[in-house]
Amino acid sequence: MEESSEQQLDAKSKVTSQLIDFEWKLGMAVSSDSCRSLKYPYVAVMLKVADHSGQVKNKSFEMTIPQFQNFYRQFKEIAAIIETV
Amino acid sequence: MAAELEGSKCLSGLLSGLAQDTFYGHPGITEELLRSQLYPEVSLEEFRPFLAKMKGILKSIASADMDFNQLEAFLTAQTKKQGGITSEQAAVISKFWKSHKTKIRESLMNQSCWDRGLRSLSWRVDGKSQSRHSAQIHTPVAIMELEIGKSGQICSPVVFKQLGI
Repeated sequence: MEESSEQQLDAKSKVTSQLIDFEWKLGMAVSSDSCRSLKYPYVAVMLKVADHSGQVKNKSFEMTIPQFQNFYRQFKEIAAIIETV
Repeated sequence: MAAELEGSKCLSGLLSGLAQDTFYGHPGITEELLRSQLYPEVSLEEFRPFLAKMKGILKSIASADMDFNQLEAFLTAQTKKQGGITSEQAAVISKFWKSHKTKIRESLMNQSCWDRGLRSLSWRVDGKSQSRHSAQIHTPVAIMELEIGKSGQICSPVVFKQLGI
């Protein structure tokens, strides 16, 4: 997995998929069968990614608030760097 | 009831074992293991209901995410019940919950997350991009790789580019 990650982000490799939409939802899990008083906020994300043929795939995942804050920080960093390029 | 069960000496260890099994999902914490390690003088027949009682108390406390006032009230009620717990045992349970509350709560939150999680995020910014087929040239591009999956599963990375952010 480590090796293929590096190949994917290798400068010479082609990346043809494009992010076309980013949907999000802020949810609060109130209760569950294992915990009656859950009170768990989370961010659910749906990415819409189009491949080179235009076919769109949905990728969904969930983050805790600290995970989302890290995610957001990374995007801020990317935005700052793109400004300088 | 066996005298050992009324004491509180090994109760802390028992609660740790119960937490490992019930909340942290560690395999292999059987009732026989707990009995032989912590209450070897007690028969399995006597140990079983005792274990069930402690497990029930711990699960109730965790399920309600009790604060310290609620905890005190709950444990006091347990000491007054027929076949309940002793005050010493209540003190041990109280101390255990105070030190493990955060970690147990985190486990419960993880257990309730059924969708895939974001396992890792890597990215790179390319300064200029040119393509024979794409009209978007001389534009900075952010390329991101997200590993999305449930813990314990192999995830396939999702790689895409995004022009401008």
